[in-house]
Amino acid sequence: MSKSDFTRKYAIVGYGETKVGHLPEYSGRTLQTEAARLAIEDAGLRREDIDGAVNAKGEGGGGGTGNWTDGFPRVLGLPVKFYYHVGRGGAQASYGLHTALSYLDAGVANYVCVAGARADWQKSHVPARMKSEPGRSGIWGKELGDAAAYTHHSLFATRHMHEYGTTSPQLGAIAVAERAWACLNPAAYMHGRPITVEDHQNSPIVCWPYHIMDICLQSDGGAAFIVTTAERAKDCKKPPAYLLGIGTGEHIDHLWWEKGHYTALPVDTAKEAAFGQAGIGVDDVDVFEFYDCFTMEVLLQCEGYGFCKKGEGGPFVATGALGPGGSRPTNTGGGLLASHHIGDFTPMIEAVRQIRGEGGARQVKDAKIAIATGHGGELLYPGMCSTHTCTILGK
Amino acid sequence: MQKKQWTKPFPGVDQDNDPFWQGLNRHEFLLFRCKKCGAWYWPVSFCRTCDNEPFFGNLEWVKVSGKGKVFNFNIVYRPGSPAYNDDIPYVYAIIQMDEGPHISSTIIDCDPMQVKIDMPVEVVFKDITTAEYENVKEDFTLPYFRLVG
Repeated sequence: MSKSDFTRKYAIVGYGETKVGHLPEYSGRTLQTEAARLAIEDAGLRREDIDGAVNAKGEGGGGGTGNWTDGFPRVLGLPVKFYYHVGRGGAQASYGLHTALSYLDAGVANYVCVAGARADWQKSHVPARMKSEPGRSGIWGKELGDAAAYTHHSLFATRHMHEYGTTSPQLGAIAVAERAWACLNPAAYMHGRPITVEDHQNSPIVCWPYHIMDICLQSDGGAAFIVTTAERAKDCKKPPAYLLGIGTGEHIDHLWWEKGHYTALPVDTAKEAAFGQAGIGVDDVDVFEFYDCFTMEVLLQCEGYGFCKKGEGGPFVATGALGPGGSRPTNTGGGLLASHHIGDFTPMIEAVRQIRGEGGARQVKDAKIAIATGHGGELLYPGMCSTHTCTILGK
Repeated sequence: MQKKQWTKPFPGVDQDNDPFWQGLNRHEFLLFRCKKCGAWYWPVSFCRTCDNEPFFGNLEWVKVSGKGKVFNFNIVYRPGSPAYNDDIPYVYAIIQMDEGPHISSTIIDCDPMQVKIDMPVEVVFKDITTAEYENVKEDFTLPYFRLVG
């Protein structure tokens, strides 16, 4: 494979992440704005340097019309030439990044701030005075019992178990590994709370086959990063995390008859494009930051990226390869399962941290190349996420 | 008699799926079929193999038996919304209709522990009426499924 012109042309030069957890006192807009402020400061830039902005929303095509993020550039006073929304669920940061690149490439902007926020926990704990009437969902299934993310995402797990004999304790090994990483990350929500596979098995079943420990956290928190060209990156305060490759995969054009979509994510085209641009292989990657809304999504990415043969993800993750000291360090900050959920900002920013060597106790030694993935988008009838993104970052 | 409140979400009816929901009101289960090649679809799609006419001109909604089998399922113990508090534990399933298309709904009147992939099921129509519910403005019918055989 040869490297493409894209490799090392752009870099993430700053990031910001607010405190995360249960933060009912802050609006989503405020969390996002604070993250943007921190990212600009981290890059050693001034607010007036930022000439482009992208609001990377958690809402995908499936729903969510909330307008609380109507303008972090206004709140912060960023003199941007463009600002708009990219809504792609758990691939929000990745598509925000891709959007920024096109403007940098065209020379329209020099520094673009991509920012997002989630206010998921507070949304499910809304005070009575703020509650609105239940309305039409616009999505198939809500009225029939598909009332939460886990009431369809868990179907990936059922089908993988049916076809390949994967077991719940094997999925538990993923939760255990990520919790172990979280225990090395003081900022992680589950810091100081290690678990075993037995704990996972004893935890309440929320939606069989998923125990509560198969399901990610709901967080309040903001996240942002600054992306610029390689030449400008050299003058920023912190070491750049160069973009070595980006790729995307979609299942949006497919329908229910693509039954394999219950046991695989659209990794192939994303992997091919990103690794093709970078001119490297999966074995050259030191750190893996996989989008992990549920344990099975991690297992499917282990298979998709070739850690093991298709269908053998269960026995593979049970070896402990994903955890601290394992052969495939994965979700080194604890991920969405054990640290915090700001969509794929969580994996993206942890990847930058590892590339900069800022991982502290969880730093993967000599980490030079990291990948961060996203997963989300439209909910394909009747229950599959459509998109996968792969971003390769390097020193 | 005092009317009840419908607390679950209302169906997301739009122009594309309105014929399907109208069929349910008549207790008919409809799928979308290509008139040229006979391929079955749900929800609305242009035919993947034929030359299509404007605005689905070559496709039509057709009444079918409403029979199928369990393709995939879970058992919901913690409802995603309080509206389902009285239903748990319940089985949410993807049903593969005999014609091929998949549709998802709850399998009612079953012991969740007995449900298995490939079990045969059939549609059950549940009418939600203005006569029964104060906040229902227009009758609608929900398609649930039950185990058969």
